[in-house]
Amino acid sequence: MKKLICLALLLLPCLAHAFGLDELQTQLRATPIVRGHFVQQKFLRSLPQPLTSRGDFTLSQGQGLLWLLRSPFTQELRITPQGIAKRDELGHWQALPRQVGTGRETRIFLAVLAGDTHGLQENFDIALAGEASAWTMTMTPNSALLRQIFNAIVIQGGALVDRIELRETQGDRTVLELTDAQAASQLTIEETRAYAP
Amino acid sequence: MPTHLERWLPRLFQLSLVLVLALGAWQCRHGWPVSTDLLELLPHAQGDSLQRRAQARIQEPMARQLIALVGARERELAVGQAKALGERMRASGLFERVQTDYSPDLSTVRAALLAGRIAMLPAAERRLLETAPAVYAARRAREAVDPFSSVGLVPLDQDWLGLARKIEAALRPGGKVQYDMASGTLQAEEDGRIWVLVRAEIHGDAFDSRSPQRIANLLLQADQELSRQQTRLLAAGGPIYADAGRRQAASESSLIGAGSILGIVLVILFVLRRWQALLAFAPVAIGLLFGSVACVAVFGHVHMLTLVVGISLIGFVVDFPMHWLGKSYGIADWQAWPVMRRVLPGLSISLATSLVGYLALAFTPFPALTQVAVFSTAGLLGAYACTVCQMPAWFSRGQPRPRPGLIRVAQVWLAVTQTLRDKPKWLATTCLAAGLLCVAGIARLDLRDDLRQWLSLPTSLLQQARQIGEITGFMPTSQFFLVRAQDDDTLLRRLAQLSTSLDQLKARQGVSSYLSLSQLAVPMAEQRHTQQRLAELATQDEPWQSFAQVGIPVAAIQAELSTLASLPPLSIDAVLAGPEAEPWRGLWLGHHEGQSASLVTLQGLRSTEPLAGIAAATAGVSLVDQNGDLNRMFTTTRVEAALLKLGSYILAALLLWATLGRHATWRILTVPLAATACTLGALGLLGQPLTLFSLFGLLLVSAIGVDYAIFMHEHVAGLQASLVGIMLAAACTLLSFGLLSFSSTPAIANFGLTVALGTVFCLCMAPWITLSPTRNPPHGSP
Repeated sequence: MKKLICLALLLLPCLAHAFGLDELQTQLRATPIVRGHFVQQKFLRSLPQPLTSRGDFTLSQGQGLLWLLRSPFTQELRITPQGIAKRDELGHWQALPRQVGTGRETRIFLAVLAGDTHGLQENFDIALAGEASAWTMTMTPNSALLRQIFNAIVIQGGALVDRIELRETQGDRTVLELTDAQAASQLTIEETRAYAP
Repeated sequence: MPTHLERWLPRLFQLSLVLVLALGAWQCRHGWPVSTDLLELLPHAQGDSLQRRAQARIQEPMARQLIALVGARERELAVGQAKALGERMRASGLFERVQTDYSPDLSTVRAALLAGRIAMLPAAERRLLETAPAVYAARRAREAVDPFSSVGLVPLDQDWLGLARKIEAALRPGGKVQYDMASGTLQAEEDGRIWVLVRAEIHGDAFDSRSPQRIANLLLQADQELSRQQTRLLAAGGPIYADAGRRQAASESSLIGAGSILGIVLVILFVLRRWQALLAFAPVAIGLLFGSVACVAVFGHVHMLTLVVGISLIGFVVDFPMHWLGKSYGIADWQAWPVMRRVLPGLSISLATSLVGYLALAFTPFPALTQVAVFSTAGLLGAYACTVCQMPAWFSRGQPRPRPGLIRVAQVWLAVTQTLRDKPKWLATTCLAAGLLCVAGIARLDLRDDLRQWLSLPTSLLQQARQIGEITGFMPTSQFFLVRAQDDDTLLRRLAQLSTSLDQLKARQGVSSYLSLSQLAVPMAEQRHTQQRLAELATQDEPWQSFAQVGIPVAAIQAELSTLASLPPLSIDAVLAGPEAEPWRGLWLGHHEGQSASLVTLQGLRSTEPLAGIAAATAGVSLVDQNGDLNRMFTTTRVEAALLKLGSYILAALLLWATLGRHATWRILTVPLAATACTLGALGLLGQPLTLFSLFGLLLVSAIGVDYAIFMHEHVAGLQASLVGIMLAAACTLLSFGLLSFSSTPAIANFGLTVALGTVFCLCMAPWITLSPTRNPPHGSP
């Protein structure tokens, strides 16, 4: 018992050490593959009800994100550093035309989910609060143009990202909740096929 | 002893010299009236005033704009250095505008996009919305909930139908240059480097100010500093080219000028052995002065290229005093005024025939040559006046001291010529061989004229421009379309038709992109038509059910449709007012003599061939091909020049006939004709092209040939003395024109080579005309 207390005392400084961006990055990258459900809600000032969509996602480190929209309709999207592709009626992936800025938008999105805080620091001032099991990261855009579009992105999570909120300058909000997120070590055959170019 | 008149001549000359000097000084009151604008030397664009305006519109940014790319391995470094470069350029005060930050003012862009939702809607979206609203709605509803497609400049609830978003996407410049939101800069990636774009516009015109030099220095300094930080700088633009051209012209004209002057000084001192003989440069200086003053008086300024070519006039003008001083080789008691009296007829006829040759240049449509003609005519007159009126007064005491050795050279030369002349077989063989060589050479002659012969940009600059083209995809072509119509709507319809052809060309990779107003706006009639349809659709529910499915009330869509139906239709001017329309703004030429007109510019054109067909397929469309036009004009001018040459021969023949008689005329004209034929042959054998400039060189060769032939024909003070005079003159001409052939501007080099070759041939032919096949000793010895 005494030994245990000593050990606890020895460990205390480590626990007291502030939870930083580097640790967060390491923590989020520890899980190479994450699967889960998502609910996206768009709160528009002009509408009483939010626009809601649901589905499943798979995030694979280095490969990108599979975004499978189930409701209000089905739509499969693949977001990789190369761009966004959409699965058509025949099951083929079709790259969406690249537009200025979207390349960066997708990179930001992937960086958020993958915890690539270094990548994010290029565009945002980042404040991190909380501890490893429950943290909140507030990102404010550092460029004048981005500030004209949104005020902040607030991300909350523990071992994985739980919730992303995008606060637009004009008062609209988008909230993305990732639920039942499970770490996995392997992709399914279908997922592997989906990531294949 | 000088006559009464001869006492007055120097004073008269001095008075006129003072007047010209005063005029010259007055012309320089605002600084040196020297221009380096190359465009100014090119013929004015053909076609009507609208076409000229279009060309000016295209050329103006080329002359004023500067594009720089700062490239580094890391984005942050590239952005930082590019911004620092921009700051530095701004601080220099040399630029009217320096742009590194392309961040738009979003509220203005949003407002413009919202106002232009009907006018600027891309055709495919318009068609879909009008004919299959349900399909359109289904697609848009999906976008609304997709987190990756819904982000746009205009918030979702201000643009439910996503029209502004479609316009925004259509207007975005595709291609390699991307807008970087974080830094606000335009960037491209190539070779593992991030390249950041800096665009600048100088005050005034690149070719008419002192700033190009300072701009080039600034960029050079920046380049050195950047390279120390593993950052590369590429730059291109009118100001840089203007500086390169000016630098080259300046260094060349001073080098060629110094070279020829030094050579001529040595020749004069060697042959005449009197320091005083260097006064032979006085006519040269006077000639240059008169030429420049006349040019400024006629054109308002004198061009650098005119000066370069004009300086070569030294070699020709120096002939006048040489013929006169050279007579010391034939007259033991050489007296300034009496000898002048004896050579005066020859000098005057030579002047007259030379003037005929030079003035012929003035009747070409090339401003460059017109300037050279005016410069040379005035220069020749000034030099002649100086030689005839002033030189004898300076030489009233001193005499040149001939070198007996040279007389012997002349004697041997004449003897050899005479021997050849007396052996018909040899003569025939020589003539036949020369004739065959000429024919062979002329057959090989390459008739070629290209604008590129006028410019010789350093390879490093050309390489930078090419690299910038590769990195950014900005590869402007000098060809463009000019489209006109009786009103704006017809114009836009024609532009749309042209765009269809260009899209096909683009699909075949014949062109990488193009800019047309039809990408930005549709005719007002069409806008009203769309609005009518949208008003109808606003009353219907069922096409919009997809929106309801994702949670957007149909009423909101219907309200938006009504708003769209009542938007005021936009004119071309109104559409162009928005910040997002900036790249298109320069295309619109507005209304002109009851017509609307616009340009369509091309980027990355593979071949000019399909353009003529595309232009012909649509009414009101004309293709403007500046380079092609110029090159075609070179060709027609070449024909004109040949005719002028013929004309100048006829004039010279008439002049000679009137003064020297029929027999002499034929003999004298043989010299320039034979020299011309030999020069053409030699050019062919040397593999040199026959350009417009060689033709003008040949004009000058005829003048020189006639000049030499006249002096040999007159042979005042004996054949040997005349030959020495011609040799002296030829040496000076070769020293000046021969040096021009080392110019790095192909056109000037070609000109110099032609004249140098021609002079050599003239020198070889001239002695022949006084010889007859009988073995009579040459007459006229002292």
